[in-house]
Amino acid sequence: MTPGALRARLAALRAAGEELRKRSASSVIDALAAVLERWRDPDSPERRELARELPAATGFSPQNVREGLARGLAPWSGDALRALAERELARGGAFARGHDVTAVLLAGAIPMPALLSVIAPLALRSAALVKTAARDPITAPLVARSIAAVDPQLARCVEVVSFPGADAACMEVFLSASCVLATGSDATIDAVAARVAPHQALLRHGHRFSLALLGRAACHGAALEDAARGLALDTALWDQLGCLSPVAAYVCGDAAACRRVGEALARALEQVERALPRGAVDPRAAVLFAHERAGAELRIAAGQPVALHAAADASWAVVCEPDAAPRPAPLHRFVRVHRLTAPDQLGAALGPLAAQLAGVAVAGFGRAEAEVAISLRQLGASRVCAPGELQSPPLDWPRDGLPALGSLVGTGSETP
Amino acid sequence: MSADPARAELDAAVIAWTREPRWTYDDARFEALALALWALQFARCAPYRRFCEARERTPADVRRWQDIPAVPTGAFKELALTSFPRERAVHVFRTSGTTASERGALLLDTLDVYEASLRASFARGVLPGLAAGARISFQVLAPSTSEAPDSSLSHMFDTVMRDVGSPDSGHWVTRGALDVPRALRSLEAAERSGDPVALCGTAFAFVHLLDELDRRGRRFALPSSARVMETGGFKGRARAVSRDELYAWIEASLGVPPARIVNQYGMTELGSQFYDSVLGDPAAPRRKLAPPWTRVRILDPKSGAPVADGEIGRIALLDLANTGSVCALETADLGRAQGDGFEVIGRDPEAEERGCSIATDALLADARP
Repeated sequence: MTPGALRARLAALRAAGEELRKRSASSVIDALAAVLERWRDPDSPERRELARELPAATGFSPQNVREGLARGLAPWSGDALRALAERELARGGAFARGHDVTAVLLAGAIPMPALLSVIAPLALRSAALVKTAARDPITAPLVARSIAAVDPQLARCVEVVSFPGADAACMEVFLSASCVLATGSDATIDAVAARVAPHQALLRHGHRFSLALLGRAACHGAALEDAARGLALDTALWDQLGCLSPVAAYVCGDAAACRRVGEALARALEQVERALPRGAVDPRAAVLFAHERAGAELRIAAGQPVALHAAADASWAVVCEPDAAPRPAPLHRFVRVHRLTAPDQLGAALGPLAAQLAGVAVAGFGRAEAEVAISLRQLGASRVCAPGELQSPPLDWPRDGLPALGSLVGTGSETP
Repeated sequence: MSADPARAELDAAVIAWTREPRWTYDDARFEALALALWALQFARCAPYRRFCEARERTPADVRRWQDIPAVPTGAFKELALTSFPRERAVHVFRTSGTTASERGALLLDTLDVYEASLRASFARGVLPGLAAGARISFQVLAPSTSEAPDSSLSHMFDTVMRDVGSPDSGHWVTRGALDVPRALRSLEAAERSGDPVALCGTAFAFVHLLDELDRRGRRFALPSSARVMETGGFKGRARAVSRDELYAWIEASLGVPPARIVNQYGMTELGSQFYDSVLGDPAAPRRKLAPPWTRVRILDPKSGAPVADGEIGRIALLDLANTGSVCALETADLGRAQGDGFEVIGRDPEAEERGCSIATDALLADARP
């Protein structure tokens, strides 16, 4: 990809976007609803190809990819998109539009955000210039293909491009779109922000982390086993690399409750490993995993009230900590269990990290659950749900606090 | 020297090794000292003893230094791993700690071994070509020990400065900030005099200096005998610069070519440091050389077994200069064996994460001072 070629594609997109905006919003949303239904169908050609190709490209196990797609796509129905558009874009009898072109900078290897990031600008009749993630060259082209299968005109409003992030000349052209939707590390997004002019819109989707918060009722008996199974699933899906993957469980209970949660979670992770084997682990991540595991062993040897449960093949680990202080999270199915005196202490325990909280799986608070959920949202969590549901956010999940479609609204007119 | 007679004997043996003019890699000597030191640390450091016992390793059944259990360097953040009573500590070095929950600490009951090791390694890695007894203009891009008494890096620089620094030597970082006028004066003087100069500091401090020079449009052509020593990475920093980029920038701004820029690999938890070979062995490829009283192994992160030559693995070290704490350490760094030395594989600033979780980066920042 050369800057000149990219510039030509951008120009073509602008022209295609002009044509698109002549269509009714409802016809475009109906087409995208059909695209989503196509993705929900495990036998659709694109879904099958993604399930087949993604493991080799990203290192996730085939079982994990299949299960992650099934759970992630289940709530993303065509009707859900229509309802979302109605809720976030309807302005009286009209629908809000997006910018003429939205540049979509993808990152990471988890396909769900990529799918939504390509679809969302189109729902606002904004053409989408999509840069594939280095870690996932598969998903975005397949999404474009699925759009073409449903609506060729709409497909002309999507260009999927690929060039190294360090290619400054291409990046300059790419970031000249009137709206930029950037995903990636904070450093990446800061670098993008530095190159985006004030008149351009920039939507940031940085890196986040998630947690579990368990009340006393979830710390024993069948409720504990349910919560542990759910948390193990949330952890295992996408190998704990997603922003909705819990890195720690905070337990509102005594030391015995923490111990029981740790044991149950270890059993559940061992069980889920058989169904959803962990995928490849980069050497650097493997070093961090081994380092933190050995660190826990040493703290145990030093007499600290720490407990370690770990798979013999290092495919998962659970460390029960004596306090609520956050510790390094190596990911790849490494979960810490912390003790908390009360749910409202979570913010203090997380400190500045709370600003990067995405989701919290909550169980065991009985009638206080709604109140706990409110306090977690006030803390910054954009998703609060039951264990086992973290990785299946609804289509209208306000990722990073941004409305899924509403955040892409441009300054143009509204048309029916 | 340690007040513990058994320790003092080992301290003396290690110090003697560091003072030998030629580096000789005597495996039998190393193994004997390593096993003796480990037995002492096993006896004196209770947490470490229990850690070894949990791995079913005791002095009664370990016969090879490779079988000595290594502790993760991160453990120094949480535990005082000493082979002497804590009340005998005369000095503490701390990691800088940025977002990590605690700062790591190395307690020392004597600085003798530490200083003997650093002197020998620094001389070999950074001061080749400096005649015996000669002095060099020693300019440090780090605070002095009076400003940073618990920084092992500042201690190292000040020790070397006392030994070989000419009267114009000094620190360019004061009260936490780069003293730009001072740096400019020193650079101008070095350029003018043509006398040997060593610029030493953290990679991040060099970036700061180079930014300032760019901002002021200044360029220097330091004498051909000039050398640069940089250390540390960019973890926890807002800005990262690759090593190649940094070296090219140093060459452009200071006139010191990459062949005269030495990277040091070290950490607060270690008594010894590892320097690039470029000044001492300029004809051979750049690699890090381990002093004879240390051993470096590259291990498979999952199995802990040594990887094949040339493969990437985690760096594990055995450092006999760590007489007062634990001599066998496993780091969180990746490396690769390279001939008689090794290479540290840094994080590629352009590398993209597979997922969108922040936890690792946010919580693991752990730059050394």
